[in-house]
Amino acid sequence: MFTFRGKRVKAFEGDTLGSALYAAGQRVFSRSFKYHRPRGLLCCSGSCPNCMMTVDGVPNVRVCAEPVRAGASVEPQNVRGSLEHDLLAVTDKMGGPFTPVGFYYRTMIRPRRAWPLYEKFLRSVAGLGRIDPHAERSRRYDTEHRHADVLVVGGGPAGQEAAARHAAAGSHVVVVEEDPYREVTPGDFELVRGRALGIWEGGLVPVDGGNVLYRYRADRIVVATGAVEQPLVFPGNDLVGVMLPQAVHRLVEQWSIKPGERAVVVTTDENGREATASLRRAGVEVAGVYDLRRERIREIVGHGRKGVLRSVELDGRKIDCDLLVMSGGRQPAYSLLSQAGARIEYAPESALFVPTEIPEGVEAVGAVTGDGISAAAPAATYNGASGKGKCFVCVCEDVTDKDLKRAIAEGFDSIELAKRYTTVTMGPCQGRLCHVPSIRVYARENETDPGSIGTTTARPPWGPVTLGLLAGRPHEPAQRTSIHHRHKELGGHMMWTGTWRRPHSYGDVEAEVQAVHGAVGMIDVSTLGKLIVSGPDAAEFLERLYPNRFGDMKPGRIRYGVLNTDSGRIMDDGTIARLSEDTYYVTTTSTGAGAVVEWFEWWNAVWGYDVQISDVTGGLAAVNVAGPRARDLLGRVTDLDVSNEGVSYLDARQGQIAGVPCLVLRIGFVGELGYELHFPSPYGEYMWDTLLETGEDLGIRPFGLEPQRVLRLEKMHILVGQDTDSESNVIEANMAWIAKLDKDDFVGKWALEHVQARGMREQLVGFEMEDGRVPPEGGQVVIKERTPVGRITSARWSPELRKVIGMAWVPAELAHDGAEFFVTMNGGFDKAHVRLQPFFDPDGERLRS
Amino acid sequence: MSETLAFLSPDQASPEAVWRSPLERALAHAPAEITDVSLTGKLDVRGDVASLKTRALEIVRITPERALVLCDFTRTAEVRGKLEERFHVVDLSGTLAGLQVRGETVMRRLTDLDLRALPAVGNVAHVQAYVLRDDAETFRLFFPQEYGHYLAEVVADAVEGERQ
Repeated sequence: MFTFRGKRVKAFEGDTLGSALYAAGQRVFSRSFKYHRPRGLLCCSGSCPNCMMTVDGVPNVRVCAEPVRAGASVEPQNVRGSLEHDLLAVTDKMGGPFTPVGFYYRTMIRPRRAWPLYEKFLRSVAGLGRIDPHAERSRRYDTEHRHADVLVVGGGPAGQEAAARHAAAGSHVVVVEEDPYREVTPGDFELVRGRALGIWEGGLVPVDGGNVLYRYRADRIVVATGAVEQPLVFPGNDLVGVMLPQAVHRLVEQWSIKPGERAVVVTTDENGREATASLRRAGVEVAGVYDLRRERIREIVGHGRKGVLRSVELDGRKIDCDLLVMSGGRQPAYSLLSQAGARIEYAPESALFVPTEIPEGVEAVGAVTGDGISAAAPAATYNGASGKGKCFVCVCEDVTDKDLKRAIAEGFDSIELAKRYTTVTMGPCQGRLCHVPSIRVYARENETDPGSIGTTTARPPWGPVTLGLLAGRPHEPAQRTSIHHRHKELGGHMMWTGTWRRPHSYGDVEAEVQAVHGAVGMIDVSTLGKLIVSGPDAAEFLERLYPNRFGDMKPGRIRYGVLNTDSGRIMDDGTIARLSEDTYYVTTTSTGAGAVVEWFEWWNAVWGYDVQISDVTGGLAAVNVAGPRARDLLGRVTDLDVSNEGVSYLDARQGQIAGVPCLVLRIGFVGELGYELHFPSPYGEYMWDTLLETGEDLGIRPFGLEPQRVLRLEKMHILVGQDTDSESNVIEANMAWIAKLDKDDFVGKWALEHVQARGMREQLVGFEMEDGRVPPEGGQVVIKERTPVGRITSARWSPELRKVIGMAWVPAELAHDGAEFFVTMNGGFDKAHVRLQPFFDPDGERLRS
Repeated sequence: MSETLAFLSPDQASPEAVWRSPLERALAHAPAEITDVSLTGKLDVRGDVASLKTRALEIVRITPERALVLCDFTRTAEVRGKLEERFHVVDLSGTLAGLQVRGETVMRRLTDLDLRALPAVGNVAHVQAYVLRDDAETFRLFFPQEYGHYLAEVVADAVEGERQ
């Protein structure tokens, strides 16, 4: 039992939603794409678009092949009104002349100012089915990677035979069968119900398994996809009641449903006879069987009322019927083979397109090769006579023979161009039912044979697939420090920085800044990239990578370093601590770690030094404890001598802090006395908690990224990527002292020498705003004539200094203390003064205290 | 043991320091198929590791010159000391998180690695991981600990999805 438009519909075990609806008397299943013509079951095997409905909110489900689910809610789609009375059916009656293919490029162009209206309307009627962009995922989709020695696509007799053959040879064989009802005799192979969507290089075959996309890698692929029945092209060939033999077979033999009362069979091959037998078995009166291979019928016209077949007219002879079975022959379903690289050729003797030159590792068996397909009479499938109603070549996109003729007249005489212009074969059936008919129409209109017309390129997917299945399960990797959950518990506003999650602040930026200046603050800097560089050549290696010196450093000392690219541009920065004669500890920016590791490994491979590089970024948590009371705090949790003599500014010391082995780096990114503690990650929370508790009476406070940005700006410490870009170099970024151009060589030296020789063009400077408004980052620096000459890279209100400070790139001639420039703000101009020395503690007395 | 890199070794902490796994919270309500094995000694060993032949240690060989050696966490210092006599050793015990999961299908949904050719290093839900196979259905993953929470959630979700 399920519901259709809110009404209950009974179903039997083994029914599909479509068969149950048909048994319940439903004949109109959908409204067509463009003309909103009523459509009923045509292929009944999941190929055509005629039975697409919305099931439990999922649009475009082919109900003829969708097994019944108790309680499912089924709704028709592409309908304004009801299936029986669709308001947009007016396009069928009147729209003809106004809506040829590509009409949206021509008829709705003028007047131009009405386009928004047209667009709104077109958007509302375009496409099939509705999705709610704000809806939750309707169901779960997964991707699963599998392997098979031999993958057989198609579980028919030929596929089964091939599977048995390969299994007997000892291969692990998987058979993929897309028809959920096809009986496959169990054998020495694995059966997977699903649809192979395509064949990619490396034997990759994704299989649509409903809720799981199986990505098969197969050493060998056997294609046994069989053949697809083709419709005839005549006026009224889309009326409800016109079916392919397969549909009759299914309704009668699979579900014991009587498909109609009075039937006519028109066939060009053997399939008609089988359908006739089925109809008779079901008690349908067969009013006539016309085999076009023997009989010549010049004109077939289907007549109907309200889109439902009432009679068929054969060369003027009218026969009342409610069912017309048409068979235009069977065409090998070669798409997968073509994707795999096979050539498709026309075989005139059988009037079929057949695959040839099957690539290595791929086999074709059964009807897909063209074997065993009885020759049809292709000339009879389309007689060129419309004029008595629309002859549909493509029911998915509502393309008629007239549309194709018009396209030819307009010069789209190649089948590939015509495909793009008319969209024939681009609908949900993916050409299964329209590719061959369109070629036949083209051949006839161009007075040539189908072989000269040729086929269009077969592309994946070989069947419609939901976007949800292709997207799979969303996986968005996030890096979290080992203190992450404490930040959240403390009310940290978490933000993304690269793929890291970090606290922006804990709610009060100013108070956090003041804690660092007035007492002690601490910030989680575990996100810093961390590398161990060790080996006999470590010093030489770093000397050659960085513009400044590291060989003359004493063990236990730290130096700031800026990495340059070959072209002398700033790449990353960080601190380098020498731990022993041949071991250095290098930190990088949070988002630059990966690139720096690669950079180091690349150059080490190029130079061939005896150096080992180990990325220990995640292995170490890091906490920066900073502020005038930082020493008091640290002294309480360690036996290490943390006096100014014990650990001086830019010293690196090792010892136990709160019982955890620690590397203590005395550095001052935020401008106050500070210690960066680096220790094994698993103790992140423990260390954080211990410091917070121990420092409570000292006024300790955690601070986030935003307060850190204010603090570093007071010191004019740059942020690579914020204050610099891909064109910045150390000389113009006001760090000329770092480039030791007298060194033998280092990465970027030549480029920096060039900068030195050509002289400064622009310079990174600090500035203060005169009237206290914070300019936007990226804002323009202008001079008197209102000419833009530079840009603001950072700007903040400093609660400590009680003014707005920032950094900016300005022309070299403005790079002197007190120089004036203007910043564009809300259309106006605010005055700023250049500062070259740090705003806070310019002599670094507090840092060194 | 090398004093220079002592700060890399979690086993050097005193007993009152609380060791915590990055997977702990994500696995608080996780299905029984998943076990946190982060508390394992993990050593990056470089040098002529092809010559390293012992049954007493679990050796994940990456190249002839590089291996990941796994041992009981409490034995880390001892193993590290021994290996340092012959090799370049970096303690990754805190760098890598470890997770054991039961279910081949679950693994197939997380990685495109060929599960018949393990151990190997590859992407597991977009995270580079060492993937080891203990038996037909049991796998162990070692990966950067900062992805621990994410990957534990993803693996738990995949186990959940496989049950449906």
